[in-house]
Amino acid sequence: MRLTRFLLRRTAQGILVVWGVITLVFLLRFITPGSTIDFVAPLDASPELRQRLAEDLGLNKPIYVQYADYIVNLLQLDMGNSLLKGRPASDVIFARLPATLELAIAATIVAILFSIPLGVISATRRHQPVDYGATGFSLIGISTPNFWLGIMLILIVGVNLGWLPTSRRIIGFGPALELLIFEGRTIGIQVWFEHILLPSITLGTYFTALITRLTRNGMLEELGQSYVEVTRAKGLPETLVKYKHVLRNTMIPIITVLGLQMGTLIGGAVITESVFNWPGLGTLIIDAINSRDWPLIQGSLIVIGVGFVVINIVVDALYMYFNPQVTFE
Amino acid sequence: MNWQRVWRSLRAEFGRSPMAKLGVVLILAVFLMAIFAPFLATTNPKAQDLSRANEPPVGFTDTTEDTRLVDGERQTVTVTTRGTLEYPLGTNQLGQDMYSRLLYGARTSLLVGLLGTAIAALAGVSVGIVAGYYGGRVDDGLMRFADVMLAFPALVLAIALIGLLGPRAVDIPDPFVAAGLVSDMPETTVLPLTVTLVVALVNWVWFARVARGEALSVREKNYVKASRSLGASDRRLMLKHVLPNSLTPILVLATVQVAVIILLESALSFLGFSGTTLSWGFDISQGRDLLATSWWISTMPGLAIVVTVIGINLVGDWLRDALDPDIEGESGGGMG
Amino acid sequence: MEQPDDSDIERRGFLKFVGATSASAATMAMAGCTGDDEEELENGDDGGNGDGGNGDGGNGDDGGNGDGGNGDDGGNGDSNGDDGGNGDSNGDENGNGDMDEPFEITMTQRQHPTTLDPHNHRETPTDNVVLHSYEGILWRGPEGEIIESLATEWEVVEDNRHRFTIRDDVQFHDGSSLEPSDCAFTIRRIVDPEVGGLESPQRDQLAGTTGAEVVDGERAIDMLSGGPNPMAFQNIASYAHVVSEDWISERDNEEIAVEMNGTGPYRLADYEPEEYVRLEKFEDYWGEEPDVDRVEIIAAAEDSTRVSQLLAGETDIISAVPPNDAGRIESDDSLGIADIGSTRILMCPMVYNEEPFDSVEFRQAMNYAIDLDQMIDEILRGFGVPTSQPTLPGYNGHNSDLEPYPYDPDEAESLVEQSGYAGAELELEYPAGRYLLNDELAQAAAGFIDDLENVSCEAVSRDFGTLAGELLDGDLSTTPSFYNIGWGNTTFDASQTLTPFLTEGTAIYHYRSDEMEQLKEQWQVETNADEREQILQEANQLAHDEAVWVFLNREWLVYGINGRIDWDPRQDEYFLAQGMNQA
Repeated sequence: MRLTRFLLRRTAQGILVVWGVITLVFLLRFITPGSTIDFVAPLDASPELRQRLAEDLGLNKPIYVQYADYIVNLLQLDMGNSLLKGRPASDVIFARLPATLELAIAATIVAILFSIPLGVISATRRHQPVDYGATGFSLIGISTPNFWLGIMLILIVGVNLGWLPTSRRIIGFGPALELLIFEGRTIGIQVWFEHILLPSITLGTYFTALITRLTRNGMLEELGQSYVEVTRAKGLPETLVKYKHVLRNTMIPIITVLGLQMGTLIGGAVITESVFNWPGLGTLIIDAINSRDWPLIQGSLIVIGVGFVVINIVVDALYMYFNPQVTFE
Repeated sequence: MNWQRVWRSLRAEFGRSPMAKLGVVLILAVFLMAIFAPFLATTNPKAQDLSRANEPPVGFTDTTEDTRLVDGERQTVTVTTRGTLEYPLGTNQLGQDMYSRLLYGARTSLLVGLLGTAIAALAGVSVGIVAGYYGGRVDDGLMRFADVMLAFPALVLAIALIGLLGPRAVDIPDPFVAAGLVSDMPETTVLPLTVTLVVALVNWVWFARVARGEALSVREKNYVKASRSLGASDRRLMLKHVLPNSLTPILVLATVQVAVIILLESALSFLGFSGTTLSWGFDISQGRDLLATSWWISTMPGLAIVVTVIGINLVGDWLRDALDPDIEGESGGGMG
Repeated sequence: MEQPDDSDIERRGFLKFVGATSASAATMAMAGCTGDDEEELENGDDGGNGDGGNGDGGNGDDGGNGDGGNGDDGGNGDSNGDDGGNGDSNGDENGNGDMDEPFEITMTQRQHPTTLDPHNHRETPTDNVVLHSYEGILWRGPEGEIIESLATEWEVVEDNRHRFTIRDDVQFHDGSSLEPSDCAFTIRRIVDPEVGGLESPQRDQLAGTTGAEVVDGERAIDMLSGGPNPMAFQNIASYAHVVSEDWISERDNEEIAVEMNGTGPYRLADYEPEEYVRLEKFEDYWGEEPDVDRVEIIAAAEDSTRVSQLLAGETDIISAVPPNDAGRIESDDSLGIADIGSTRILMCPMVYNEEPFDSVEFRQAMNYAIDLDQMIDEILRGFGVPTSQPTLPGYNGHNSDLEPYPYDPDEAESLVEQSGYAGAELELEYPAGRYLLNDELAQAAAGFIDDLENVSCEAVSRDFGTLAGELLDGDLSTTPSFYNIGWGNTTFDASQTLTPFLTEGTAIYHYRSDEMEQLKEQWQVETNADEREQILQEANQLAHDEAVWVFLNREWLVYGINGRIDWDPRQDEYFLAQGMNQA
């Protein structure tokens, strides 16, 4: 099976990438000043107490021993204990993961929902007001720092108009859904939606703008190609032509870009979460970095690395779907 | 590389595209603002006047419930302030002039954007060309490393690296002040060195990918094969043939990267990792806790970033449309 | 908030409601549905919640004034009729500890607790949770004075032997009764890594203490020290919260971090790390029964989040109100501001052996250069007072003869000239966002210094992690020569500030002089309280004259508080439900 072989190969590569991430974080860990111990130990701790606390936490073993220990434990799915919270890092991370996933997915949905129709309309109504509007929007969208966009949304929609809450995530999607299904109450979903709306717009705007641009440019290129003329001559209704053939070919560069932009999405999530006080992985990482909680930093980055690899495999599979001629070499 | 042809197509596209003209105008404006900041500024951007803190922009009136010391006792008072021409864009919580800070902030953004991009391009192109030209194991190794870098959120890497390097900064003397043309303005412009290096370190991968792609294709061209069979050295081939052919896409990428790096710099400043207090991102973060009372502190520098980045993106579009290079992932990097 | 719009009510109702559902597994539903009396709230029951019941509940926002009395009604809405009834009855009984109506409050602080183990942390947010359940052998009044707690008497037996007589009427939450051995165990658990399976970060807080033992035949313990220990009672009043020896011994540290078994007025009802802690009244508490029946403690790091929670009625008390929001809160009829000076001072230490700070004149000039009064008025909006010395008024060793350095830029410039360091270029490094508006304060201080004709100064933002690393590595050469830091002193004794900063050999000292070293020798061993106070006052005088720091303000504790609660804040930053009453 070509697909199976491809997946195996990509998985192997993915593991290599994740291993690289782990190693890189470890290197960073040992060259970064500001020891974890400064956070665990009180400001006025004696050198002796600091020493013993460090020993207690295993912080003064040689780097390679810590590295080997870490890899061995990781193979048993043990990421170690968060130094500050004293709980398993994996518990802390997986408690935060749903919030980030919700945000990322919501942002992606916002992006796809608006961008592709906008791009298509813009391309088919070239040089009409709607086209100018769409290009203008996408230009501003890719040029706006998302933390500032978030602040402006908070200022206008949250503070001045008072329409939506300014921050926090009161209920997760899971519990909200349970409430709906088992008790028939919509309030959970409603509150969840109110709280996620501004963050997902903040995070999604850049991607909406980017995909709108790509869709428009791709469509324009594809519309100029002759097979569209041929299909149209065969008498297919206009809209079908647009969507089925042109869009399919346009999707290829879009998917490529999206795959490459995953890092951006995660980075954007970090800062969006920070602006909206969203209890996800992003705020966790910033807190962890600020307090040098390395098991937590490492764990989070591994989870992100795995996510990145998985998404890229999915992207490649989609690639295959949209463009069966592609070979994976 | 036919520079004349490049120039012609650039000119032709410029003539056709109103957006390209707008982009150039915006960029020129920002550059002029940055360069001549000491002349355009009305107040020293660092000079504080606590008694004039949190004044709104001219034309706005601001009324807040506030607590103040009245005869040594703290009382709740209603404070009404009216914006004045002296501080056309208002003042921040230290009574510094937002307009002058905006001008000087442009210096920081452009310095970091241009220098960071240059370093990233230099490093990325070198790695990319070597990888693409030699192929094989060298290529595999370098590209897997690039994958690791991509799997690492740029913002997170940047934060970690800044922690590692510390917020070093270089003071660049202001030539106008040094020449005695203006007084009462900062004598130096601070270049946040760590941030510049970090944004370069985080973004070199995109250049490496593009350069590698170009090198791969150029390598197979007949004239390169011919030169090689004639005994040209690898170094000469890379410099003479591979590099010039990669320039167009790299130029387009670099333009976009300037925008990306400006955004990243502002994000880092926003999160408190800058090396200077004269930065748009820094001002946005300062205003964030005052949103409910002093909206202008965050709003103005944000608008400045948007306008600057729009200008750069328009110029990038112009270059791309004119030169039509084949780049994957058009605005590589994105913010953060 | 006169006419809360629907969304406010909805949100408030929902918050309570979410609490109810997530707590449904626990024995009680904390969420604050005041409508149902003794019966435990079941999920099905509060069906009307959220949607139907809320409309009328609006009176909740009127808080403590007016007829509604009970702000909590707003969140509820078991049924409309009930709600109205509750409101009325509360109105009548306003202010008397209503027995039928659970009084429930939500408190929002900046950070979540990192553990529930009272001996395995050094943070106020964690104390704010665990001190509801764990009590000290001694305790402090709101002004910092030592008062009795689990011990009724305390005395010095010998210089190195301090005796505490322990109550005999105290129960732990698990039903076992408090024995003196538990108190001795507690002290040993902190100071001895071999006891209680813990390397306690509080060990240095009991510096000098070597152990504790039960006094034969008496309900008393002796705390043992290596030598004279003038700080013994001060330390015990601030640390050593008593745990049950049996309970601790049966559990590993992971369990101790998420459960509580103390003697305090509240016991743990439900704990979700990083989300909330819920506490309920402990019925068999030995002391005075508190007014508040149930407490929920949540956290929000962003200032604006806490403020909007308070304004929306989602919480009853928030800590660390940003001064520029205080006016807004105070002008809301149902809300108020409660404030008090904290135990923390802000300062900018200068390293004594680095140019230009090796000159006393230069250091003094830095103090004359800044207009501290204006900074407090404009930046802190009046929340703060200037300091003149390392020790706060009311503390043992405070020297009341000292005045803060006045603002006198001319004097500053001439002192700089005298010091021979005219033209100095300084950088003031501050930990970003670490203390109340310390970014702005540090920037303003740097701005004032920069305003001097013969000095330039720039404020540099650092992240606390790296800065702390440089301060704490015990190497003075890596310490920034001029930095901003805050320092809390919860023992109310000058030495806890003077020793670490101004005497040689500690991790963060930045100043040494023979004079100060001699004074230290004395204050560490002097057991006569008056003599010792004299010594500490002398040391403060020296610190002032030597201008060891740029003295900034005493940090202020600013709380936003719903009018239905009556509470006087404490200096030590604790906000504990046992001190709160129904207004």
